[in-house]
Amino acid sequence: MSEIDDLVAKIVQQIGDNGGTSTGTTPTSTTNEKDLTRNDYPLYSKHPELVQSPSGKHLDQITLDNVMSNKIKSNDLRITPNTLRLQGEVANDAGRDAIQRNFKRAAELTSIPDERLLEMYNALRPYRSSKAELLAISDELKTKYNAPVNAGWFAEAADYYESRKKLKGDN
Amino acid sequence: MEGPNDPKPSIKIENGKITEMDSKSVKDFDLIDLYIAKYGIKLENAEKVMAMDSTKIANMLCDPNVPREDIIALTTAMTPAKAEEVISKLNFAEMIMATQKMRPRRTPATQCHVTNIRDNPVQIAADAADAALRGFPEQETTTAVARYAPLNAISLLVGAQTGRPGVISQCSVEEAAELNLGMRGFTGYAETISVYGTDKVFTDGDDTPWSKGFLASCYASRGLKMRFTSGSGSEVMMGYTEGKSMLYLESRCIFITKASGVQGLQNGGVSCIGIPGSVPGGIRSVLGENLLCMMMDLECASANDQAFSHSDMRRTERLLGQFIAGTDYISSGYSSTPNYDNTFAGSNTDGLDYDDYYVMERDLAINGGIHPVTEEEIIKGRNKAAKALQGVFEDLGLPKITDEEVEAATYANTSKDMPERNMVEDMKAAQDLMDRGITAVDVVKALYNHGFKDVAQAVLDLQKQKVCGDFLQTSAIFDENWNVISAVNDANDYRGPGTGYRLQEDKDEWERIKNIPFAIDPQHMEL
Repeated sequence: MSEIDDLVAKIVQQIGDNGGTSTGTTPTSTTNEKDLTRNDYPLYSKHPELVQSPSGKHLDQITLDNVMSNKIKSNDLRITPNTLRLQGEVANDAGRDAIQRNFKRAAELTSIPDERLLEMYNALRPYRSSKAELLAISDELKTKYNAPVNAGWFAEAADYYESRKKLKGDN
Repeated sequence: MEGPNDPKPSIKIENGKITEMDSKSVKDFDLIDLYIAKYGIKLENAEKVMAMDSTKIANMLCDPNVPREDIIALTTAMTPAKAEEVISKLNFAEMIMATQKMRPRRTPATQCHVTNIRDNPVQIAADAADAALRGFPEQETTTAVARYAPLNAISLLVGAQTGRPGVISQCSVEEAAELNLGMRGFTGYAETISVYGTDKVFTDGDDTPWSKGFLASCYASRGLKMRFTSGSGSEVMMGYTEGKSMLYLESRCIFITKASGVQGLQNGGVSCIGIPGSVPGGIRSVLGENLLCMMMDLECASANDQAFSHSDMRRTERLLGQFIAGTDYISSGYSSTPNYDNTFAGSNTDGLDYDDYYVMERDLAINGGIHPVTEEEIIKGRNKAAKALQGVFEDLGLPKITDEEVEAATYANTSKDMPERNMVEDMKAAQDLMDRGITAVDVVKALYNHGFKDVAQAVLDLQKQKVCGDFLQTSAIFDENWNVISAVNDANDYRGPGTGYRLQEDKDEWERIKNIPFAIDPQHMEL
């Protein structure tokens, strides 16, 4: 188990304790596999074996019977960081590297509970936060959710909001 | 377009960073400039492309012999002012030619609105099934009263999946509330994530490029498709244009979208169409902004979604560029109900235009995204959707839907035909449903419990697609078997006559369009 796995497991545990919704643990990928191309798309029909729910369920296990018997719950019906990584590879191969960058940010956000994520978004709106508050979220993203790209996003916003007057009290 | 105060296109790159863009130096950059300069332009070829003659690039755009991907390599290395300059070289017919080639998805489609002024949920379900049968692969609702949002979203979801599995639906409300509905699985995508071309208006819209970019990633993190929205005239209406032309400001919005890694954009005047629609060349410029979006390799939902004239000829004029060329969504959307019930303030085309629209498709042999359906099929679909929603409401403990309401919704033209509901009770129930943490899984169970196994399966299949993420790719829609159709596996390959999407080669759809139910065979005409 890598540190990341431990961290994710810990976060999931915390979220579970709080009764929040989350994506849970995700199967980590090996990094030396060849990137997917547009020819591997759609994953649904061409690579169902690569796609799992946050709890490790495969697509063919997402059935009405399993929903009715509560074997599949709402939390199972979410995308994982690994699937976002694969879709990012497909997008990049189709010439859309900007989409891949978005999916990389998104992959980091899958483990953040809905409510906290909405709060973070609201904090980034104009005149909502002080520089320190934005940097605190940046820190939270980095340390609590292992989301370095998004941590950088908030830190960058904090700088620009200061120079371009979008911080709390600037209006 | 061609505004006297629009900046001259320029770029300066030092040490891998843009230090000047469109005649502005980095120290004067506002948040939009900073964002585009950092994330929105491919720098490798930028200086070369910026030095190219704009008329030459415009020529390549409408020349069928130049492949789409060659154009994308240029456009993604331009600045907003350069892109505007290229578009301004094209006349309307050339824009149509270019749009036909630059649309990301090979197969054109269109989107609809499903609303009513009393937020009647049973009617929404019936109208959604009705629209799904006609072929709209995407459906959008909104509210007359904001607190109805969860009920409208659920009604649309159930109705659309009853009409045709594979339709995706959205509920346009305030940003955070809209994301919340998506997280619960009540919607499949979102579109009203607005961006603006000047810093002041962006701020008035209560966002920054960074917050919108973050929101885009939030959607993807929940497996939800999304696109941004912008449109000529919004900065005029909100009072801060900085003296720039509408097309230049729109170009900035398109670049913000690209920079965010969002797969698409709804643009083309949209709800502000009254502004570009009232100035010389305005409707040409609106097609130009759709084209600009597509040439940046973004999905384009090309507006045609708000009434701006009562003249039938001008309504058709508004539509025809996108209709002839074909776009990812010709309208976004077409009002599936009569405009009386359209809570987006009325669309350019509505339910009463269906027959004329079908004939336009038939006469010109153009796939405008929808097809005729028999009255029997429509009645059956509407009735089933209303009944399915009746079951869902009962199971979720929502205010009762009576048999009388089901019957009325089956045949309703507008909400005038619907019995009154207790709206206060509905709104309370909507809030309670959110407080109880109800999700799409509960909707699936409710449908199953009431014998609507096929609809339950369709709602579940949509959730399954969110796990898989195929529909996060550019211009994605589904067919009735949940096969994804996007710019990745259905990339536009138009290269002139004999290539690209041809309606006559899409035999099933051409049959449906040809067979307008009200055509009379002269051989069987009775005098």
